[in-house]
Amino acid sequence: MTLSYKKIEPLIISGKNIFSKWLGYFGLWTGVLLLLISLQMFVNIQQLLKEDAPRKSGGSDFISISKTITNENMGKDNTFTSSEINNLKKQPQIQDVSPLITNQFRVRATAGNIIPFSTDLFLESVDNDFIDTLPPSFSWQPGQITVPVIFSSDFLEMYNVFAPAQGLPQLSAKTISSVNIILECSGPLGTQNFKGNIVALSDRINSLLVPKTFMNWSNQHFTGDTAIHASRVYVKTKDANNPQLISYFDQQDYHLNKDKIKFGRIKSILQNIVSALGVFGVLVIVMALMLFSFYLQLIIAKSKDNLRLLLTLGYSPKWLAASVAKTWLPVYLFIIVAALAVTQILHFLFLQLAFVSKANLPYLLHWSVWLVAILLLLLTVFINSRLVKKELDTIIS
Amino acid sequence: MDIQLRNLIPQNIEEEKRKDSQIWTHNISIIKGEHLHIVAPSGSGKTSLIHFIYGLRKDYSGDIFYDDANIKKLSTESFSSFRKNKISIIFQDLRLFEEQTVKENIEIKRMLEPYYEWEKAAEMAARLGIETKLNQKVKTCSYGEQQRIAIIRSLMQPFDFLLLDEPYSHLDEENRIKAMELIYEECEKRNAAMIFADLKPLDFLKGEKIIYL
Repeated sequence: MTLSYKKIEPLIISGKNIFSKWLGYFGLWTGVLLLLISLQMFVNIQQLLKEDAPRKSGGSDFISISKTITNENMGKDNTFTSSEINNLKKQPQIQDVSPLITNQFRVRATAGNIIPFSTDLFLESVDNDFIDTLPPSFSWQPGQITVPVIFSSDFLEMYNVFAPAQGLPQLSAKTISSVNIILECSGPLGTQNFKGNIVALSDRINSLLVPKTFMNWSNQHFTGDTAIHASRVYVKTKDANNPQLISYFDQQDYHLNKDKIKFGRIKSILQNIVSALGVFGVLVIVMALMLFSFYLQLIIAKSKDNLRLLLTLGYSPKWLAASVAKTWLPVYLFIIVAALAVTQILHFLFLQLAFVSKANLPYLLHWSVWLVAILLLLLTVFINSRLVKKELDTIIS
Repeated sequence: MDIQLRNLIPQNIEEEKRKDSQIWTHNISIIKGEHLHIVAPSGSGKTSLIHFIYGLRKDYSGDIFYDDANIKKLSTESFSSFRKNKISIIFQDLRLFEEQTVKENIEIKRMLEPYYEWEKAAEMAARLGIETKLNQKVKTCSYGEQQRIAIIRSLMQPFDFLLLDEPYSHLDEENRIKAMELIYEECEKRNAAMIFADLKPLDFLKGEKIIYL
């Protein structure tokens, strides 16, 4: 016959103090729920606002800065000097810097006979390392008539918006590479036509990029100017939202392409909110466990005489401690499972929201949520049994 | 199993009261099957001695051994094991769970290390005249009835030693004899030793060794 705890349970756990018991249970449940939900939401936000590769690659952000144009500096030279570029390079938050060199001569683009389109253009060049979509064909040598061009995908999108109204055909990302563009370059020192060939689209850089060799050669060839004119600078940094970096840019009156980092800011704010919720959840768990430990101490203090008599009669202290601790095991299990279930339901409801693209998020809770739930269960069981043992030890001694 | 008392001196009993003692400061060995009747007037440390032997108190000098184990060094876990199946006790102050029924009180001990089925306990209750009280809360029973509950409870387990501390103090002559006979039978069944402390030598003892405390 195995020794049954059921028969001696009434000697130890009275039905009194039900309020603090249920308050403890409820607090624990709320805390666990808050923690699990905030963890899952943290993962969800991470997944949903995962930035596309172009701006972020290899864990680095690429952002462009220019000098803020004000009434005071309007009309002056607002390009970056080499000392300013060097200063940028010295900033600890900045990993690398590349100026966007602009053309100093006039460029006019026509699309030949197929598309009756012509416009003045600007061209820029940047270090190849900063280009997100760099095909091997993106190179140029003097004497070469064809100039490879990397076109901003934002520009393509804009073109496709106004093209129908202008009677122009809309172009897909694939067909754009087959459009022949004639680049008419002219400056004080001469005029020459080149064949522009769009070799790639860039999500990262809002510009028309040509190889650096072409830019240097043509600036010199058409204007005789060898100086570097960079009104924009591309910066590679670990975190574009770094407050020190932003305050440095503000100090220098550098203007940041805010669109690109706004998303990141929203993400970090959301993650901060969710993290705060998680911390609050942990606090609630701690408070609930404390409340529960008071309840436990009270129970054991009340049944002190009975426990002592049971020990006197030959009941094993170990067995008693384990049996008393086990009483709450199903409760803890239930609390954690219930919190997991509600988290799963809320996660499911979250997935139904219009802005959530389901493809990114699995229906099941993230593995870290399960792990935390299991760890919490182990923790509560451990704390509980330690408390019971400690209380019993004080009775024995 | 045997129990040995070596040079035992209680801390709270005046030297005057223990100078003629046959137990204090003596070496005594109690073996299985032996019946020891400790006779002592009130205040001479009878209950203290029983509690020392049962391991409830340690305010003495000298040593008590269960076989080779000095009980001062025994863990609470080892004590519980001895109390489960080697040593049983009837306390002078009974120590029952007052809020539980008579049956529950007996069962709490019986199920710890069952020596008998419940039917045997019920039979003992009938023999001692408390069979109608089984489902009654202990606190509603008279002291004499409670004494009989404590006796039956102590007999529910296997034991080599039975410690009795004035077990019949509130029993009338007839019930005292019935209880005594039951205890003798049960000790004989187990070939157990009986350490029986009382105020004066009882008239119906069966050839016990009498020691004056």
